[in-house]
Amino acid sequence: MTPRTRKTLEFVLDNLVWFMLIFVLAIFSALIPNYFQPGIFVNIIEASSVLGVMSIGLALVIITGHMDLSVESVAALSAMAVGILFCSAGIGLGITFSPEWLMIPVSLLVACTIGALIGLFNGFLIVKLKMSAFIITLASFIWVRGIVLAVSGGRSAQDLAPAIRWFAIERFLGIPLSAWIAITCFLVFSILIAKTPFGRHLVMIGGNETATFRAGIRVTRNLIIAFMIAGAIAGLAGWLLAVRTSGATANLGVGLLFNAFAAVVIGGVSLKGGVSALPGVYAGVLLLSSINTAINLMGLPANYTQVIHGLLVLAAVLLDTFKQRLRQRLA
Amino acid sequence: MTDKLLVLNDLRKNFGAIEALKGISFSIGKGEVVALLGDNGAGKSTLVKIISGGQQPTSGSMLFEGAEYQAKTPAEAKAAGIETVYQDLSLCTNVDVVGNFFMGREICRKIAGIPFLNERAMEDITSKALASAGTRIPSMRTKVEHLSGGQRQAIELNRFVHWGGKLVLLDEPFAALGVEQTRRGLDMIRHVADQGIGVIIITHIMQQAFQVADRIVVIRHGVVAGDVESSKTSPDAVIQMITGQSLSGAGPEGR
Repeated sequence: MTPRTRKTLEFVLDNLVWFMLIFVLAIFSALIPNYFQPGIFVNIIEASSVLGVMSIGLALVIITGHMDLSVESVAALSAMAVGILFCSAGIGLGITFSPEWLMIPVSLLVACTIGALIGLFNGFLIVKLKMSAFIITLASFIWVRGIVLAVSGGRSAQDLAPAIRWFAIERFLGIPLSAWIAITCFLVFSILIAKTPFGRHLVMIGGNETATFRAGIRVTRNLIIAFMIAGAIAGLAGWLLAVRTSGATANLGVGLLFNAFAAVVIGGVSLKGGVSALPGVYAGVLLLSSINTAINLMGLPANYTQVIHGLLVLAAVLLDTFKQRLRQRLA
Repeated sequence: MTDKLLVLNDLRKNFGAIEALKGISFSIGKGEVVALLGDNGAGKSTLVKIISGGQQPTSGSMLFEGAEYQAKTPAEAKAAGIETVYQDLSLCTNVDVVGNFFMGREICRKIAGIPFLNERAMEDITSKALASAGTRIPSMRTKVEHLSGGQRQAIELNRFVHWGGKLVLLDEPFAALGVEQTRRGLDMIRHVADQGIGVIIITHIMQQAFQVADRIVVIRHGVVAGDVESSKTSPDAVIQMITGQSLSGAGPEGR
């Protein structure tokens, strides 16, 4: 094998999920009538914004070799908080500020702070007290959702203040601003992971925590920050959810967690930690979203979506194993 | 004797009911190479971990450069100038050679107040450091998981030579090295010591200890069983210290 073909092969392996995305989009465009039009593609990007943002936080924690099951409930709580504060109908309090734009930073701050605090709580228990991330965040997954149900009393908030709602309606280059937020997040965090010492340390902690500790890296601090960021980003996802649905319901976002996991795995982030592939995660999110769109367009019952997502995760894990074998042969 | 660099004073360490160290006292001077010998479970690795900040002693004290010293974390030990190469390698195999070489010490360039990794500068330094030590690694961007055991150990060794410090602890550093690489490793140790850096090396191989060390300290059942200059003793005498005076009376079972 010449170095050239090896390099090409490595490149394809590293970006496999993007090729899969292009392949799937090409197949759908060829076989499904009305699939190939700009509106559909914009829709795919738009529909993936909430899941995309949530997947970033989840991926960040998984890269360090831990786990955060609470992101879905955290998003729901943040959405509910924004809904209650800034919705004018239902259980919304309809708080307004003058000038109106002030509501945007305040609502964002509320959503992200709630997330970061829950992340801090999770991170403290997991890292400082050395408890299992799986159990702690599973508990948070349950009790945070419980708080959502309790504060809302099972009712919903509607009619989000137009100043905030603006993000879902206003477009830039034909794509809603909410989707741009997701894209920006992916760019920012991809750079954070690949180019900054903090990101490098997270990846190394995921690879060999003992080694990083011995090397004098502040493992505890970095891990807690990672959990806080995951929480804050989940809060941002919740904010987007509230903006997109113009309010919040008690069961908002149920099921997003599993899709986020699917996107992370499909994107090539190993659940064992130490592998960073944030751009791939975005491709994974887009892949899930484009398959959903295809199912909708074909008029298949929506119930099949779950089956297909499940099979996709399975395929992703198999593919990951296959990729690793191939890489070993390459090395 | 040269100035005392590190003085250990009656260090004890208990793990529950087990006494791993029962009062260790010895010292090492600047530029001195001390070989730490002892049977499996004698407490050598525990001692290294205490000096390097990985564990805290139950009691006892240490003087480093004449000042009271106790590292709560490896970061503190490093800040004081104590480098450690562990028996089980401390490399992140999921990261490339450069990333490992600079682990925890990344060279950064600030853009708008945010530190960004300066990959090119780090790669230059890494390839120079490895080349000058005669280690051949095809690409600095190869992930460590794709390298052989010897190459990995070479990275670790070069890392401590490069960063230096004042005292270096080596916990069986040559376990995975070939004959030629081991020889080069021993040269490296001498080279480091000649710069005035103290070296404590743990090894099982008597020949290595006599080749490189100025002094040999034997630990047996958590106490110092012998502390002699290597020129004034013989391998047979050291083996007797390690096992106890006679093989039949090897002492009570325990750690």
